[in-house]
This record gives sequence, structure tokens and C-alpha cells, in this order.
Amino acid sequence: MLKQIEGSHAVAEVVAKCRPNVISAYPITPQTHIVEDLASIVGNGELDAEYVNVESEFSAASVVLGASAAGARAYSATTSQGLLLMSEVIYCIAGMRLPIVFTIANRAISAPLSIWNDQQDSMALRDSGWIQLHAEDNQEAADLHIQAFKIAEETHLPVMVCMDGFILTHAFEPVDVPDQKQVDSFLPPFQPTNIVDPRWPRGIGLFADPRFYLETRYILHRAMEKSEKTIKKVSQDFAKTFGRDSGGFIKTYKLKKADVVIISMGSLVGTIKDLIDQLEDEGKKVGLLQICSYRPFPRKEVYNTLKNKMNIVVVEKSISLGRGGILASDVRWSFPRHEKKDRNISSFIAGLGGRNITKNDLRHMVEKVEKEPVELEFLGLKKELIAKKDL
Amino acid sequence: MEKLPLGLVMELRNVVPYKTGSWRTLMPINVMHTPPCNHACPAGNDIRGFLRVLAESKDYEQAWHILTRTNPFPAVCGRVCPHPCEGGCNRRDFDEPLAINCAERAVGDFGLENNLQHKKLIDTRKEKVAVIGSGPAGLSCAFHLAKRGFQVKIYEANSEPGGMMRFGIPSYRQPNYILKQEIDNILRLGIELECNVKVGVNIPLDQLRNEYDAVFLGLGAQKGVSIDVPGKDAENVFTGVEFLKQINTGKWVDVGNDAVVIGGGNTAMDCARVAKRLGANVSIVYRRTRMEMPAITAEIDEAMEERIMFRYHTNPVKLIADEGRVVGLLCVQMELKEPDASGRARPVPIKGSEAFIPADTVIMATGQAVDYDGIEIQTVDRKWIYTNENLMTDMEGVFAGGDAVAGLETVSLAIGQGARAASAIEDYIEGNVESELAQPPVVFSRELNTYYYQPVKRYEKEARPIHMRLKGFKEIYPNLDRDDIFAEAGRCFSCGLCFDCGNCYMYCPDNAVKKSKTTGFYEFDYDFCKGCGLCAKECPCHYIQMTLEK
Amino acid sequence: MMNQSAEELNKIEKKDLFGSGHRACGGCGQALAARLVQDASGENTIACVATGCLEVFSSPYPDPAWRVPFLHSLFENASAVASGVEAAYKALKKGPVNIIAQGGDGSTADIGFQSISGMFERGHNVLYVCYDNEAYMNTGVQRSSFTPLGARTTTTPTGNKTRKKNLPLIAADHGIPYVATATVDDFRDLQRKVKTALSIEGPKYIHILAPCPLGWGHPGELTVQVCRLAKDTGLFPIYEIIDGKLTNVRKIQTKVPVQEYLKLQGRFSHLFKKGGSPKVIAEIQEIANQNIERFNL
Repeated sequence: MLKQIEGSHAVAEVVAKCRPNVISAYPITPQTHIVEDLASIVGNGELDAEYVNVESEFSAASVVLGASAAGARAYSATTSQGLLLMSEVIYCIAGMRLPIVFTIANRAISAPLSIWNDQQDSMALRDSGWIQLHAEDNQEAADLHIQAFKIAEETHLPVMVCMDGFILTHAFEPVDVPDQKQVDSFLPPFQPTNIVDPRWPRGIGLFADPRFYLETRYILHRAMEKSEKTIKKVSQDFAKTFGRDSGGFIKTYKLKKADVVIISMGSLVGTIKDLIDQLEDEGKKVGLLQICSYRPFPRKEVYNTLKNKMNIVVVEKSISLGRGGILASDVRWSFPRHEKKDRNISSFIAGLGGRNITKNDLRHMVEKVEKEPVELEFLGLKKELIAKKDL
Repeated sequence: MEKLPLGLVMELRNVVPYKTGSWRTLMPINVMHTPPCNHACPAGNDIRGFLRVLAESKDYEQAWHILTRTNPFPAVCGRVCPHPCEGGCNRRDFDEPLAINCAERAVGDFGLENNLQHKKLIDTRKEKVAVIGSGPAGLSCAFHLAKRGFQVKIYEANSEPGGMMRFGIPSYRQPNYILKQEIDNILRLGIELECNVKVGVNIPLDQLRNEYDAVFLGLGAQKGVSIDVPGKDAENVFTGVEFLKQINTGKWVDVGNDAVVIGGGNTAMDCARVAKRLGANVSIVYRRTRMEMPAITAEIDEAMEERIMFRYHTNPVKLIADEGRVVGLLCVQMELKEPDASGRARPVPIKGSEAFIPADTVIMATGQAVDYDGIEIQTVDRKWIYTNENLMTDMEGVFAGGDAVAGLETVSLAIGQGARAASAIEDYIEGNVESELAQPPVVFSRELNTYYYQPVKRYEKEARPIHMRLKGFKEIYPNLDRDDIFAEAGRCFSCGLCFDCGNCYMYCPDNAVKKSKTTGFYEFDYDFCKGCGLCAKECPCHYIQMTLEK
Repeated sequence: MMNQSAEELNKIEKKDLFGSGHRACGGCGQALAARLVQDASGENTIACVATGCLEVFSSPYPDPAWRVPFLHSLFENASAVASGVEAAYKALKKGPVNIIAQGGDGSTADIGFQSISGMFERGHNVLYVCYDNEAYMNTGVQRSSFTPLGARTTTTPTGNKTRKKNLPLIAADHGIPYVATATVDDFRDLQRKVKTALSIEGPKYIHILAPCPLGWGHPGELTVQVCRLAKDTGLFPIYEIIDGKLTNVRKIQTKVPVQEYLKLQGRFSHLFKKGGSPKVIAEIQEIANQNIERFNL
């Protein structure tokens, strides 16, 4: 049903329709509305689930781990500090191959404290073995959750659905919230296999000495790589059932004839599309490659799509301090070294700590890279705030 | 190698456990030890065995069979044995020793009441053995030989069998009908008995040596020895043995008003107490003090309870008679000086301390000797029969045991020697060299872990009131409560043998102690035992020991 | 598990649900306690285990020693994971099942304190069993908040200066229906307490003293004896707190001075050496006396 609804509410409603059995979360801005809504959905009986109010994010993740290991479909949501606090458990969940779904309402990491949006938090856990899907808008955020449960349960890999905090979570947009029957037809009931059950005793969480650990990591890596098939298929099936495109590996916009290609992910993509349309009117040919699945990284798709593009600019809301753009590195790595082509890949860091990214900023960015490649630049940096010695 | 499962999640039912037994440097083993009670018993009884059966299965019959494996006289010994087992009992160091003697009596009485029968181990064989004397040694030897299938004939000089058990122990300590039943039970194994035959007088020993494959001498020390004082030939002067035999054969003795017993041994105590029951005022005259008296403490105490006077430091000098019958003794006071050859303080008469003690009867319980009448045999110091370590005398094929060999000892020792002699006789006849089975080491109280026990009061048998006792010759101690005996047997620590407490089973951190499905005993699973030693430390009966790993 | 008769409660169970083949040291008190707990609970158990000696010696791939299903994730979240399992069983309407969260010093009172406090406060139907070996044994005998006064550990080489944190009382103050302390030497009592706990709805806490021969410095065979002395000196009182009321206090029959207990252990040997600290021993005796008075031992 189409509603004008806050992003968080949409996510909460959709998640509730996915019939999770155990929900446990610790409130943290800007995820609070999601968990509050789920609490009232459970409270008024619309959803028959256990809602566990825990005392920290660490415990929230642990409760969800325990529940999933016991055979329940489990869900939680967090962001920023909370995600970092529970990082131990995040890695643990991946290692145990538990099909858990999280919503990450992307937010900046302190210090300094910031409650506003950027993607440093989910970036910090990109190596943990979780599938990371980024939502462009609230519709996609809602849809990705339905897909996420299916992907997780088929690949035995946990999934993070990343949506930009405040920008998406607190924005009111028209969202088609599917009804229960539709969701049920798409997402079958959870049939767990590897659970703790006194009838068939199993041990979960054994420790692996050097004889075995390497192989477990190999298996996990290969599982991530192979999940590409599932991610794509689920997205296609979703389109068939619900009638709209959502999720998948990558999406492109006006890429065919583009001279400059912008690569980005998350809500920024919307602004970029608007700019591309404007520039098209002005005669400039700029295209967009939108990364939907950040992990596993769509390396082959990036290469195949951009084989013949020579001017690429990556704009991202994250940074690896001391090294540079993270998404930019991933993109650069997608092109093989032996390929002797004169390709420019520029890296821009934008929007950290919730800094507004305007179309003008992006326009300047495009104009810059048309002239020459940029190694690393912070978009919209206010030099007047920076002391000479810190430059 | 198995492929790694998803998420390293393992099916626990398929696990092959890791064998941690390879870590060990010490390993536990079950070692049976000899309990000090068994070790102290002169008859070699398996005391722990029958007590555990009483405690656990509450089965008197099985207990009787265990006890009569070595001792065919449980009812008798349960009344007369001085129970050195109780002196050795490890429980003595925790609270009080077990009342083993009472338990033995209860078992023996049960056997008699229910007419339990001895069983032969081997069916009849052709060899014949002659046993001379039907005292405890002789009957024990005959019993063991008969069980092994030998044809045994006992030659008894008296008119009835029993030896000192019959004629030396008064019936208030041990009733005759009890003894008769136990003897009959032994004879039922097919032993021939001929009474009123004194070997050496009626039949020469050599004849028996020729007719039989072996001979056992259980002569006892039944000849009373009196002290050499003037006037000892007067009437109503008896040796201790004589006096007791008279009473035990039913002949009445007129003891008069006053009776004096000379001597400090068990015989003296018995004589005094018999005389008391016959109506006399009795005093015991002994030249040293109570400390030096060889009689068993319990018997001295009981004599004192029965108001018998003890005159210590007193020695008779002369017996005074009137018209041939004794009327009193002249005694002198003694003082104790440095020890003499026997190790006891040497009594020396005090000059001028003579006194007259009136006595209508004088009983001199001052020693016993073997009656060698007609028997030529090598002796030790011309007193006791010489035997080698196999209880064989200097004569080929002639064995001996009991008081005649060991000196004035107990019924239990005689029974034990009779059993040993039977074993030696069997070896002699078969031409085997007797091999000594190594006895497991004795376990003492410091090696036990008594933490699991609470102090419990020991069972005390009740005696009939003194005035009732003195009225006649009925048993002093009436029948014992069978259930109380079960409770008392339950106090047994089972030193040196597992009694299924389950400590080792429950305490092993590695579950390396398993209960065998076939035997029901606890076994060690050496695949997993790490040798920590908790089982050995917590075993209350010292059945587990840690030894070096092979 | 509800309403068991006294006979059933007192029956000792040995099913080896925590089996042989684990890599604990010989004489390990924790291994013994773990088996007693699992056996008392039976096959219908899910063990949520925290990282520590127990987990490390019992759950290596490919031969764990567990015969009941177990779930181990991290050091500090055994209680939270157990809460999750309990929530799942409630949500899926499965069960009933005994969920036993198990951990040592750190995972109960230090790094895992937040987790256990949350579990108690939320009222989950989970039994938490703490194996108290008075230090972080798994990582090499470092001091924990359960390390008693005067004990030498690798991070308190001159003897611990603080007193033992009293977690049973903290647990009771959370208002949970059942709290008990126990030792490994009285296995009947320990198993009875586990069974009693499992028959009560709500969060339960059992604190077991589990001597560590390696860390405490005594031979493996003395594990049981050391426990007895800990009880008889008054240093480790045995009691139950049911619905907030102290009951079933084990009285000491013959009081033993603390020296008897301290002498047996290498971690207290520095108190007895020349130039040792009679003052510390006196303080330890004072702690014992206070326990005796407070719990009326």
C-alpha cells in the first residue's frame, strides 16, 4: 500500500511483515524510530515475536545471535557507536554463518561525536563477512529488507541493509509498503538447519586451531563471492513479484554515452541523478554507476561496465584515515594492473558528519575531473577553519 | 579428513573423543589390601568379608558361609574369643572399633537356628588322616580335611568331643548345647569320631602312623600343673583344669563357704566364677598385681563385677588341712622387684607377713601342660611339641597344632593352626611344596580417608544383671538383636576393598572411571585418565593407589 | 522439571553429558563441576558457554567433549546469548528446555557483568552457573575480581590487595528467585541445587567454587580436599537464597583456622615464607570470621 511515511516507519512495517521471531535492539540515534515502531507493532499484537530490551548493543547482537542459533528468524538495528561496540559479535555471527538481518542507519563515528549521516560505520565492518546492501531511497530501503532475509537464509550469510541516517530514516517519502500476503508469498518461513537443539545435539562456536582456521576463512570468502548469484536472483524475483526494480548488484544511469562516470552509493545517488539530468540539458555527458551491493564487491560488473570509460570519479561518504577513499580503492582495484590504459580514477570524500552535499558541489567536482584527475579531495572543504599547520 | 562443516557447526553424536590418557605420568590401579582385622585374626577369618555382607545384603546366611570357610565354630568363638580383630580395627582411630565379636556370635547363632550345613569342596578321595584330640585344633583340622575330601577319623580320649571348649570353658560363657550343635555340624561332613580312646595308651601312635596317610596331634594342654606347696594332697584341692572338668561333666563339687583360687590366668578366672556360682565366697590369690595377670582384661573385669575378691601380692606357702580336708592356706605378702626371666616384675616375699586365709576349697590354676602319656615326640624345652614351619613334628607325616604347640593360647589360634595343618597335610600327601601366597599389604587407619564418616556409637552387648548371673550357669549375655548387628556391621570401613561408595566414579573430572556392565565394579578407562590422583585421594578404603605409568 | 520429589532432587546423576577427552589439567575442579552440572540438568539442555578455560578445553574442532548442544560465542556475552536462545524458544513456542549459561570469573563478574545484570533484570528463564576459580585462569592466572585477598597471580605478584567481589549477593539483590553457592566436593548438594534451580521459572544463579590445581598451586588430587577446607574455614559459605530469603546455610561442624586452607596452596606460599605477612593472614581470618557471623555458619 502506497503511503507517505517516514523511512523508519516503512522499514519497521516491512520488517514486521517478514515475521521475525526475535527482535532485540538498543536505541541509538537515528535508528530509534525503527525499534520504537517495532516495539509497538509487537506490543499491539500485530506481530507475534519476542522483543528483548537489552542493556547495550553488544547484548542486543548477542541476543540476536543466540536466538538465531536456536532457530529463530532474528533482526536488529543499529548504527555508528553501537555497531562498533558490537563489532566482536558481528564477526562472530558471520563466522557462525547465522542468517541474521540488521538495519544500519549510517551515521558518523566519534570522536568528535556526531549523530549525522555518513557511511564510516558500515565501512568499518566491511571485512567482517556480512553482505552489505545500500539503499538509495526509502522504497529501496524497505524492499531490501525483504530481499535481505531471503538472501541471508539462502546463502547462510548475515546481511546489513544500510540506509543513510536522518536523510532516509527521518525523511517522509511515498513508499509502497507491501501487504502481508505479498511478503509471505515471496519470503517462505525460516527453515533453519544448524541450530542448537537437544534432540540433535550440535556444538556451535568451536574453536579452530591453526590446522583448520585458514580453511574456514577461505570458505567464508568463497561464500561471499558466490552469494552474487543469489543477490541477483532475489532482486530479479522481487521485481517479478512486486513489480519494481530494487537491489541487485549495481545499477547504471545514462552510462552508455557518458564521458565522465560518477560512482557512488546510498542516498547521494539521488542527488547525482538530478545533476546528471541537468548536465545533460547543458550538453555534458555524465553517467552514474550505483553500487548496491558493497559487499561482496561487484568487481567484475564494475570492470565490464567501465571497460571503455576513461574518466571515473568516485564520491563517497567514508574515508580510510591515512590512506584515502575506501570505495575509490575498491574501484581502482577492479581494473587489472596489466591493462595498459590511461584511465583516470578520481577520489572525492564528501558529506562526512552529515555535511550537506549540494548539486553545486557535485557540479564543481565534475568540472574539476574534466580538466584533470584528482588523487584525493574533500568535497566542500572549508579551508578557512583550518590552521595553517594542519593543512 | 572430514570436510569442514558449515560455520564449523559439529554434530556432537559423531565426535571421536581425543584420548587424553597419553598425558599421564601416574596411573591409578585397584589394589586390594588386607584389613587389620583379618591380619590380626589367628584363625585367618575374612572378617571384612562377612561384615560387608551383613551391612550391604543383610544376609546372615551368606555371612555364615563366608565365616565358616575358615572357622567352623562361629557361635563358640563369638562367645569366647578375646577378639584381637577389634584391637586392630581401623575404626578404633576414628571413633570406636567394631563389635566384631558380637557380629560373629550373631552369625553363628543364626547358623545354628537355621541348621545351616557345611559343604564339601571336593568329593571323597582315598587318603585317610587320623586326628588325635577333638579340641578346637583337632576339629578344625578334621573339618578342613573333610571338606577337601579326605577320610578323617578322630580319636578322642575323653567321653565327649570338644577338648577345652567342652571341659575347660564354663557354660555361663559358652553353653554346652551350642558347642554340641557346632561339633555335630562338623562331623556331618563324614568325619568318624571314636571317644574314650587315648592314643599312646589304648592305641600306639605308630599303629596310626602305619594305618593312615598322615596324623594330626591336637593334644591340647589339658594337664593341670599345681604349685609345689606342702599340703597340696589334701581333699578339695584341685588343679584348675580338674575343677572345671568336674563341673563341666555335671559332677557337683562341694565348695563350702570359702574358696580360694591361686593363679592369674583365664583358667583362674573361670574357676573363681564357677566357684562363686556354686555358692562360695571366692578370692583369687596372685603373687603379682593385675598389671601382670595374663588373663584377658574382660574376664578379669567380669570376675570383679561378680564380687570376687582379688588378693594381689599374695603367695601361698602352705595348705592347712583338717581331717584330710583343706581348711585354709598360709600366705605371705610379696613385693615386686626387678623383672625376672618372664619379663614381669620379680615377686619377693616380705618376711614376717604370713597370714591365714580360710578356704574350704583350694583351686590351683597355676599352669597347664601337655599330657604326653605314651607318646614319644620331640619337644621344645620339654613343654610344647616341636614343629617346623609347616606344622610338622619331628616325625614324618605327623603334624600338630593348638595349645600343645603354641603354649597356652586361644581357641581361635587353635582353629587357625588346625586349618594350616590341614593345608600342610594335603600338600604332604600330594607331594606339593607349599607355596606361600603373598598376602596383600595391610592398610592402616592413617591411609584411609575418613572424612565421609560420622562418629557412631558402637554396639554394646547387654549383660544380665549380676545377681541374676550368679544364680546359675545360664549365659551371661542373652541373644543379640539381629537388626542392631546389621547396623553395627554398617560401621565397617571395608578397609582395603571397594564397597561401592561411588566416590571415584563421581569425582573423576575426566569421566575415566567406568562402571563395568559385567562385574558391576569400577574400572579405569586408561584411554582418558590423566593421572591426577583424585580418585586415590578420595577413596575412603584405600583401594586405589597411584603408581608410575609404564 | 517442576515439582520434583525430594528423592529425585537428591539422586546423583552420572550420564557423562560432559564427556571424556577434554583437555583440562588433571584434577581440574571446573571440569568436574561442568560434568556434574550437565548431568544434573540432563539431555534436554542447551549450554551457552563463555570463552574461558571451560570453553577452550572442551570445544576444539574436531573433538569437543560436550554431549549436550552448546553454543559458544564470545567472552562477555554468555548471558545475553542465553537470553536470545530463551527468547527464540518462547517465540517459536518450543521447549521446555534447560538453558544454562556457564562462565568463569571474567565472563560473570568482570567483562560479562553488564550482560549478566541485564539478563537478571529482564527475568529470562535461564540458569547461570559461574565456575569460580578465583582468577583468569585460561589466559594464564591473572587476577580477577574474584581473586581473594592475599592470593598471588601473575598480575598481582605480591599478593592481591582487594577482597573478593560477592556476586551471589549482587545476584540476589537483582531480585531473582534463586541463588545458591556450592563446591565440587559435595556433588550431591551441587546436583540438588542445579535441579532445584531448573525447576524454578526465572533467572537463577549458582556460584560454584572450582579449584584450579595449576593456578592455586596444589596437586590435582587435593582438589576436593581444598574445597572442604574452603568451606570449613568459613571463607566460602554455602547457602541458598530463595525469593530473597537466606536458607539452607551449611553449618561448619568443626571450624578450621584459615592457615590450614592457605598452607595447601602455592598461591599463598609467600604469606608463610620468612618475612611473610602474618597481617594478611590475620585479615584473611577476619574475612572468614565475618562470613561466619554474617551467614551464621
